[in-house]
Amino acid sequence: MSQNKQTHSLPTVTCHLSPVTYYQPVTSSDDYVNIASLNQYSYCPHRCWLIHCAGEFIDNQYTIEGTSLHERVHTMSEGNRDEIYQIRAIYLKSDQYQLIGKSDLIEFENGEFYPIEYKRGRKGEWDNDELQVCAQALCLEEMTGKNINSGYIYYAQTHQRQLVEITEELRANTIATIEAVQTLLFTGAMPKPIKTKRCNGCSLFSRCLPQAVDKVGRYQEAN
Amino acid sequence: MGTLYVSQADSFIGKVDERIHVKFEKKTIIDVAFIKLDGVVVLGRSTVSPAVVSELMNRHIPLSFIDERGHYLGRLQPEMSGNIFVRKAQWQAAGNTPQSVHIVQGFVRGKLKNYRQLLVRRQRESDHLDLAADITRLENIISAIDKTESIDSLRGLEGAGSAVYFGCFNRLIINPNFEFTKRVRRPPTDPVNSLLSFGYSLLRHDVQSAVNIVGFDPFLGYLHFDRYNRPSLVLDLMEEFRPLVVDALVLTLLNKQFLKPDDFISEPLSNAVSLTAEGRKIFLTNYEKKKQSEFKHPVMGKKCTYRESFELQARLLAKYLMGTTDKYPPLFIR
Repeated sequence: MSQNKQTHSLPTVTCHLSPVTYYQPVTSSDDYVNIASLNQYSYCPHRCWLIHCAGEFIDNQYTIEGTSLHERVHTMSEGNRDEIYQIRAIYLKSDQYQLIGKSDLIEFENGEFYPIEYKRGRKGEWDNDELQVCAQALCLEEMTGKNINSGYIYYAQTHQRQLVEITEELRANTIATIEAVQTLLFTGAMPKPIKTKRCNGCSLFSRCLPQAVDKVGRYQEAN
Repeated sequence: MGTLYVSQADSFIGKVDERIHVKFEKKTIIDVAFIKLDGVVVLGRSTVSPAVVSELMNRHIPLSFIDERGHYLGRLQPEMSGNIFVRKAQWQAAGNTPQSVHIVQGFVRGKLKNYRQLLVRRQRESDHLDLAADITRLENIISAIDKTESIDSLRGLEGAGSAVYFGCFNRLIINPNFEFTKRVRRPPTDPVNSLLSFGYSLLRHDVQSAVNIVGFDPFLGYLHFDRYNRPSLVLDLMEEFRPLVVDALVLTLLNKQFLKPDDFISEPLSNAVSLTAEGRKIFLTNYEKKKQSEFKHPVMGKKCTYRESFELQARLLAKYLMGTTDKYPPLFIR
């Protein structure tokens, strides 16, 4: 069992939030958007809908992403590595953006926090991993009262860290995605399945059949 | 992936690690890994252990029960799919809606075209079989389907087409030991009808699995709309598959002498006919083989098995109902 230790070697921080425009969440409910679903949405809105609205069962790593917010999958831990203070597997939350999620690793160095997102593979074709880092940064800013300017993605396959700069543009993109996902979850309106190259790697391909729209449209039943 | 049929009466179905074991008189007669199963069908009386029940439910594998005579009793169903959107679309189209008419036209057209195709193929294969008149009659009924907008009239066309088809079914049986006069059900009183009924029972289990997986409410149909308390949508979607899977299989088993008259038993008084244990084994083995056989799906343009096509057709139906696609294409194989 992990101990929820509240004491650690953090210096006191002064609060200076970046001047983000105040965000009004779409939903007035307590339904917080899971950071993982942002990634799914930017990968494919229809997939996001299938998983989070239609509750399509899938038995791969993604089921874990949807687990209830009250369960801890990893073990919380903290410690120092050289000069760097590290916290692993803690909850992240932002009330302003109604976001909730789980961090893989947060580092604190020279008075700065960095969220680090672990990815199994190598740098993917779709740059939606940065979205997740930025969403984590939004949560961390709210939780620590400090500005966060950068984070990292750690690709396990290549053992490389990739710097992610939390630019204004990335922030805007992330906030727009949060908004879109909240609208999706609130209305349940189905985004159309659209066939792209990404479909081949999607675990829901056989349920979604994105090619069916074209194929059925072109199909001429023989006599 | 496949279905496990347990036809040995008084067997015990238990779980050993990750495998399902069927034991009879304390000896394991078959064991299969759970991961390879997508359905378990118990025929007659057997004991299913609680461990097997929970394992099947956890893995979303349905467990169906069919009695000794091949009557479908019911099933133990994993939790219903959370996809309420499919069910909502399904209910919204119910009754006399344009969507419902389109779907019913599809079911009836698919079935009758496959009927006709079966006759055409048999005619080609044999020199002394003359089905031209029946084929023409079926053609005429088929050509009326897309002009018919009333569901009742479509049911009439389906009935007329079936009458033509079963009217010449006896001529498709070249085994002199078997005779077919007309469809007799509940109970079937001759071997051919008993095979058809048994086959349709098995097909129902398979199509119901597909309908459930996709998230439909199995009890709300379009062609079978007038009766409640039966899985109407399953019966609807079965139509196009009856000739493709069951009828074709029954004809093969009879004509190639897989089954002989002594594979059947008949009850006193009721005259209900059913397969012997040995005959049932032959039928089940070949039914499963048939389901695993491959063909090129005319819509998707790629190879698939009949087993996969049940789910594929259910998904295509869901897509049409949800407005993703512009039509429902029934499975028609030339």
